[in-house]
Amino acid sequence: MNTLKSIYTVSVVLLLFTWTSCKVEGISPINEPVKDISGSWQVIKATRNGTDLTSLVDFTQFRVNFQSGNYTLVNSLPFIVSQNGTYSLNNPQYPFQIAFTAAGTTPVATSFNYPIVNGKRILTLTFSPGCPQNSYVYTLQKIN
Amino acid sequence: MGTYLHIKGSRLWKICAIVILGIVLACCCTQITSVDQPASATAGTTVPITLNINISCNSSGTANFIMGFLAPNGWAPDKNTTVTYHSSKGSGNMVLVPAGTAVPNGHGLTWPQLLKQQFGNAGNLIDDVSWIVYQTDVPITFNNGDLITGTIDIKTKVATDNNNYSVKLAYVVANSSNGITSDGFQTCGPTAEYYNEFIPPSCFEVTGATGDLIDFCNPQLTSVNPPKSLDNDFVTLTFNSNVVTTALAGAPAVYLCATAYTSDGKTITICSPTGKSMMLPTTTTSGLYQLTFWPRSYFGLTSSQTITRMTYFITDQTGAVQVGYGNTSSPFTYTFKCS
Repeated sequence: MNTLKSIYTVSVVLLLFTWTSCKVEGISPINEPVKDISGSWQVIKATRNGTDLTSLVDFTQFRVNFQSGNYTLVNSLPFIVSQNGTYSLNNPQYPFQIAFTAAGTTPVATSFNYPIVNGKRILTLTFSPGCPQNSYVYTLQKIN
Repeated sequence: MGTYLHIKGSRLWKICAIVILGIVLACCCTQITSVDQPASATAGTTVPITLNINISCNSSGTANFIMGFLAPNGWAPDKNTTVTYHSSKGSGNMVLVPAGTAVPNGHGLTWPQLLKQQFGNAGNLIDDVSWIVYQTDVPITFNNGDLITGTIDIKTKVATDNNNYSVKLAYVVANSSNGITSDGFQTCGPTAEYYNEFIPPSCFEVTGATGDLIDFCNPQLTSVNPPKSLDNDFVTLTFNSNVVTTALAGAPAVYLCATAYTSDGKTITICSPTGKSMMLPTTTTSGLYQLTFWPRSYFGLTSSQTITRMTYFITDQTGAVQVGYGNTSSPFTYTFKCS
């Protein structure tokens, strides 16, 4: 009888250990980082209506600098805007559109692609600085 | 791990014969026998064009008959054209094929895309023309052995952009079952094709506009790409030394000597043979020389100025030898505009 009692007691204790040893594993959701495009960007490829212009025009001096919601253009070329101003993404984590607002003008929005290619972030912008039927695609890469 | 079809030799031949017969006896061959098209017209007027059509059918069925029309984009032909048909199978309207409609046997291409791939710009030298494609508003029922005759009547308003034109208009007829295919056995009337294209031998001339002459037909000494642009576009100016022998023949390099006319009434001339104005050969043997530039920067505009037009010559390194429009002493002219 005593033996049975001991077995019962040990079983209850073991069960309690088992019960208390379990805990709910909390899995925190991974937050998509905010897309930060701050820095100086350079054109590495440009097309006009599908024709590659990269070797036909000197893009090496042109820069788009993004910093704290402002952008500046250095050594201007045909672009979405022609004056410095502010920019905004339509969604800080999942942006698909970027709007440029040159000083004293209304915002001009364009599609925004921000993929990683060969380990580097690139920025692809599509726009028409002249006639609307002429479409340009600039692929930019951050240089610092 | 492959799987094998177990088909006996005799059955295989029968299946092949049925497949080939199915292809041969598929539908109707369509042919444009002639086109009644005026040689010229005044800008802004509506021009009547008639395609005379013969259709011979080698099976029974129904299909929408198709007509593709090539015209300059500057005419906005999809907005300024009406098409009707009159035939021994009835009459009616032809309507634009809904955008995105894939062509049967067309590898996923739409009708305008496939016609562009198959027939290009129909000999036009400037890539600023489009195929617009119409279909009968109702399917046409036909029987094996039918010989259908009829006309397709096009009314299109020409040169709505107020430019003068010399252009090759072109036409294609087909049907919605066969697409742009042929049976290869010549069982379908005069041709083995289920489609037919027609390019009138001479260019269609539009006059009376106040704008430029846009010449799609004759090789030009110079051309500007894109054909329509503003001063805030990149423009590529090409000099084609193969068109005619000019005073620049044999010159080691050619240069652009250009004058911009601005919206505030000023003129800006850049006419020094420098690296900036140098036109580079596309290849060592092409005879083509190109310069791509941003006009606003090239002419040093202020932020409030725009360029309305540009006149230019092609020169040698000394600047003393100049070639102008039509190999004359008059300058070439380019107007910056979008329509």
